Amino acid sequence: MTAELEILDLRHRFGELVALDGVSFGVGAGEIVGLVGRNGAGKTTTMRAVMGIVHPDRGAVKWSGHPIGDDDRLGFGYMPEERGLYPQMRLLDQVAYFARLHGFDAAAANGAARTWLERLGLGERMSDKLVALSHGNQQRVQLAVALVHGPELLVLDEPFAGLDPEAVDSLSHVLFERAQAGAAVLFSSHQLELVERICRRVVIAESGRVLADGTLAELRRRLPAQLRVKVDAPPAWARPLKGVRIESAGEDGVLLVVDPGTDPQVILRAAQAAGPVEHFGFETAGLVDLYREMVSR
Amino acid sequence: MNRTGITRLVARREITERLQGRLIRIMTLVTVLVVVGAITVPGLIKGSSTPTRVGLVGTEAQALASTVERTAIAAKARMTLSNVPTETAAREQVTSGQLDAALSVGPSTARVDVKHSLDPTIRAVLQASVDSAHLRQSLAQSGIPVDKVLPALTPVPLQAVALKPPPPDQTARAVAAIAAALLMYVSLALYGTAVANGVAQEKTSRTAEVLLAAVRPSQLLSGKVLGIGLTGLGQLAIAAGAGVIANALVHSTRIPGSVWVLLPAFLACFLAGFTLYAFAYAAAGALVSRQEEVQFVTLPMGLFLLVGYLLVYAVIAHPDATWVKMVSFLPPLMATLLPARIALGHVAPWEIPLDVVIMGLSIWGMIRIASRVYANALIYSGARLGWKQALRLTDQKPQVTESSRSAAA
Repeated sequence: MTAELEILDLRHRFGELVALDGVSFGVGAGEIVGLVGRNGAGKTTTMRAVMGIVHPDRGAVKWSGHPIGDDDRLGFGYMPEERGLYPQMRLLDQVAYFARLHGFDAAAANGAARTWLERLGLGERMSDKLVALSHGNQQRVQLAVALVHGPELLVLDEPFAGLDPEAVDSLSHVLFERAQAGAAVLFSSHQLELVERICRRVVIAESGRVLADGTLAELRRRLPAQLRVKVDAPPAWARPLKGVRIESAGEDGVLLVVDPGTDPQVILRAAQAAGPVEHFGFETAGLVDLYREMVSR
Repeated sequence: MNRTGITRLVARREITERLQGRLIRIMTLVTVLVVVGAITVPGLIKGSSTPTRVGLVGTEAQALASTVERTAIAAKARMTLSNVPTETAAREQVTSGQLDAALSVGPSTARVDVKHSLDPTIRAVLQASVDSAHLRQSLAQSGIPVDKVLPALTPVPLQAVALKPPPPDQTARAVAAIAAALLMYVSLALYGTAVANGVAQEKTSRTAEVLLAAVRPSQLLSGKVLGIGLTGLGQLAIAAGAGVIANALVHSTRIPGSVWVLLPAFLACFLAGFTLYAFAYAAAGALVSRQEEVQFVTLPMGLFLLVGYLLVYAVIAHPDATWVKMVSFLPPLMATLLPARIALGHVAPWEIPLDVVIMGLSIWGMIRIASRVYANALIYSGARLGWKQALRLTDQKPQVTESSRSAAA
């Protein structure tokens, strides 16, 4: 897929601190990409660079093949990590105001604001001030502000933080829908299970660099396979095998780490020779495992 | 949307938010009440000083009527005279308030009955009238022809010639100078602080980052200054309009024509002063890390404005002093001193273009510095910044501190 959003070799320092050290990845139209990494990995600075809030020392951010300009950014939706809206402004006025800043006329802005507030379950509270809302509902308004102008690119920094399960489902649904409509979606999160559920592609960042970038299947291929075998025999049967390491052993059998190129049939035959085989199957590594493995390397 | 369209939109939001708030309504009402009160109360007090009603008791006193009237006119005292038949009737009328004073004259005595006290001017008028009548009567009784003696007794009028006469409306000009400086001081401090608070609120509530994703810092800054400036101007216009209407109704003060002619100059001074200070206040507002710090960071601007206002009294006392002219060229003080000096009529024609150039350059410089400080400091999430520190933060590069490490994440 040709990336609509291209982040090319971004480098940025805050004084002595290296925030970005050659970050490169892309997000295609209709694609949802999860950006994961520990605090200080450079996720927020990358997103701020995309939105033009931070100007990187080096590198470029492109949209549809050209450097991003002000007009492009009017078509982007942004939710920063540190939420912020006008506390004393009424919801409808607030969301409509941001739609107008993104180029909508007054009537269209009002219509879009109503639609999104109703959609996000705030239809009854349009004339309330933001400050009167709970934290979760304020988060929904923030999301409405990011979505109201029908952005072609959504950049969401920790959008799921602090949401209840119902709101998480609602937001996930909105992201899927926007992607289906052709929008490129980039979001960061520490909730890896959520990222695994929502994203087709994941970018793992660490210390201002990209450790891994690809679909979950692609990332899994970069790690040694894990094979669980339950044999009615002590785990010593696996020790002589070449390219195989015993990761753990217990009631569920032994978990073997298998080097690429090792023939599983050889392992199966060794297991059968040791005793009756009750279970023989590869374990699918989750994003949590992949992340831990990659970050610990 | 083009750049000016976004600036207009930001300005409109500022105006709407302020008009929806209770504070501005209360403040506008208070300002109108203060202005109307300041105009009508003296007017009403002045209006209540009706002519003093003096009763002339008996034929002896009534014979003095024409003398009293002439003396009163000479003394510029407003009096109405009426005849009262008896002293008893006169006392009743004074006690009941129908008369302010009742004059009774005997062969060698004179008495004035009043309820509480006698106005010194009225006393002088009545005394002079009684003395004059007594003199005429004494001369007539002594057989001396009054017509021959009177010219000798008439005082020679002493004419005072001012070598450097003050302008006819000097008092009104001094009042206008103080009023202009006070208005400038209060409004610039008030609306400047409103700008700083607005910026600090957007920064501390993190709204700035969402806004900056769609709007340039310069658009946000100019929209905010424009919106709050127009709100302030509107508020001042309402107060001024109420003042003019109140003055027309009670005829408190005859507003000198020169003041009306100078109004455009005052307006230009306000706009220039507001622009200079508003950008400084906006940059200061962006430096804070908490809303409570606004008062501290705006202190220097408040001090400049206060000094500028206080110096106006020195300007009134020494309008032509060289140091007064020099000080009024300093841009932060010009905002309050220039309107006052214009009101006093002590600004030489050659000073005007120089003032315009100095102020223009100052505004240009302030906008450049303030815009940079504002853009740099607005999304900085660390502790409160200083001006120099914020200027060095090019492209949002905060100093390396523990807080900035988390900001970089």
